[in-house]
Amino acid sequence: MNDELSVEAHLRFRSFRVDARFCAPANAISALFGPSGAGKSVLLDLIAGVRRLDSGRISLRNRVLDDTSAGVRVPAHERGVGLVFQDARLFPHLNVRGNLNFAASRALRLAANRTVESVAAHFDIAALLDRRIGALSGGEKARVALARSILSAPDFLLLDEPFAALDGARRAAFIATLRSMHRAFGIPMLVVTHQIDDAVALAEHIIGVAAGRVVAEGPLQDTLSSAAMRALLAKRDVGSAFPAAKLRSAAAMHAPMQWVRADHVLLAVVQPTGLSARNIWAGHVEALEQEADGAVLVQVRTEPGALFARLTADSVSELNLSLNQPIWAIVKAHSL
Amino acid sequence: MLSAAEWQILLVSFGIAARAVAWAMLVSIPLAWVLSRPRFPGKTILDAIAHLPLLLPPVLIGFVLLLVLGRRGLVGHWLEGDFGIRLAFTADGAALATAVMILPLLVRAIRLSIEAIDGGLLEAASVLRAPPLDRFLTITLPLAGPGVLAGALTAFAAALGEFGAVITFAGNVPGVTQTLPLAIYAALQAPDGDALAFRLAWISFSCAIVGFAAAAMLQAWSRRRAT
Repeated sequence: MNDELSVEAHLRFRSFRVDARFCAPANAISALFGPSGAGKSVLLDLIAGVRRLDSGRISLRNRVLDDTSAGVRVPAHERGVGLVFQDARLFPHLNVRGNLNFAASRALRLAANRTVESVAAHFDIAALLDRRIGALSGGEKARVALARSILSAPDFLLLDEPFAALDGARRAAFIATLRSMHRAFGIPMLVVTHQIDDAVALAEHIIGVAAGRVVAEGPLQDTLSSAAMRALLAKRDVGSAFPAAKLRSAAAMHAPMQWVRADHVLLAVVQPTGLSARNIWAGHVEALEQEADGAVLVQVRTEPGALFARLTADSVSELNLSLNQPIWAIVKAHSL
Repeated sequence: MLSAAEWQILLVSFGIAARAVAWAMLVSIPLAWVLSRPRFPGKTILDAIAHLPLLLPPVLIGFVLLLVLGRRGLVGHWLEGDFGIRLAFTADGAALATAVMILPLLVRAIRLSIEAIDGGLLEAASVLRAPPLDRFLTITLPLAGPGVLAGALTAFAAALGEFGAVITFAGNVPGVTQTLPLAIYAALQAPDGDALAFRLAWISFSCAIVGFAAAAMLQAWSRRRAT
């Protein structure tokens, strides 16, 4: 109970309600995952203290930050909880160095490896230090905002869709930056995202949110296989987390886990030969699940991990699939 | 160009207006900050008090100042007896009366530029451990700076034209409290002062235009900087 961020939050604004209760380990990266409009950003605002709870209790490592029943409310500037906003929110009247100094000069205790220069080097923005904020690109702004939050030496760091402005390779690189930042500075993080790939690539712990409520939470792999979590996913996003080391992919992978979508997996009842696909695993059918539109979700257990394949009803009957039947799962490298 | 007497009038006017703006600024910055906050008890009353000089006749403001700060006034008596400070019928008094009159103008301008600041930046500062006063001094004020300066320039131009409160509280003493409008008034009262009044009116008009143009330029520059 004591080494975690514990949140019980009730808030109502306009027609929206937040009634959330969850815990996040205070030594790992957690993902706050859910569709747009689920209230994820609001939860971050509440934890950081820039928005007020109607009722509830928030504590970090046994330090109470909010407790409406006891009348406790620690102001945002005394919480030691950092928040990286989706829109970076760099101070426009200061240059990059000024923004970083703003954080560093107010940090309570700064480790020796956290000078403005060394952190700037870590985030590859050392060359931008004398740049005006208006002259930065979206990706540069995101990195400066991250560096700034690290320099304020928070006990816990909240990140609100920090990769919203990035795509493709830059997104993967940014996720790698976040992971290396977690390793280098040892700061626990809670990252908001509505993209399952990002959550899987980043986090060890996941909290699923829908309509202001927590529907599932726990260690990444166990939680992802739960029905409640799967219900949060768009149909085309259904899949499973697979160890990245076992996958051969066209893109470089920086994360230990990779999300493999059910729509990208083929099944074969005999061992395939002469195929171009780079990933072929032997396994057995673990579950068959009919979807609302008639398609069938086949769960396959392979030695490295579970996979889902989405098949049409016709192909399931043609292949005559049944539980525990031996099967081969196939994934194209370029679909990852 | 200008005669020695005209230069003196101009200098007195500028001196009084500058002091008035400086003093009004000290009050209006914290006042505007407080008034820009979302809700607090007494906000409406404070807002009304800040607007009073705009609504009341200037002569009445001068009269109230005379009652309170005059030599026989409660505060004025104490100030003169204990500190040797005399305000009524002095240049300081003229500056004070002017400061009271331009206060609503300054509060309004500063409040608007404070309210125009993106609240998200202040949230960002607070999660970087900056307490409220720190945020005000390092984020709000610098970002509102150009707007505050533009407000000060406009207030300075308005201060040059202040009449009723000044003549009531500080009198019309040439070389001491006789500012441009007061000199125009005095010239109009004199039998052959029309020509002087006309020249002073032109000077006054030019000052107002220059002040207004400078304020407009400053505002345009700050808008460019903000984007």
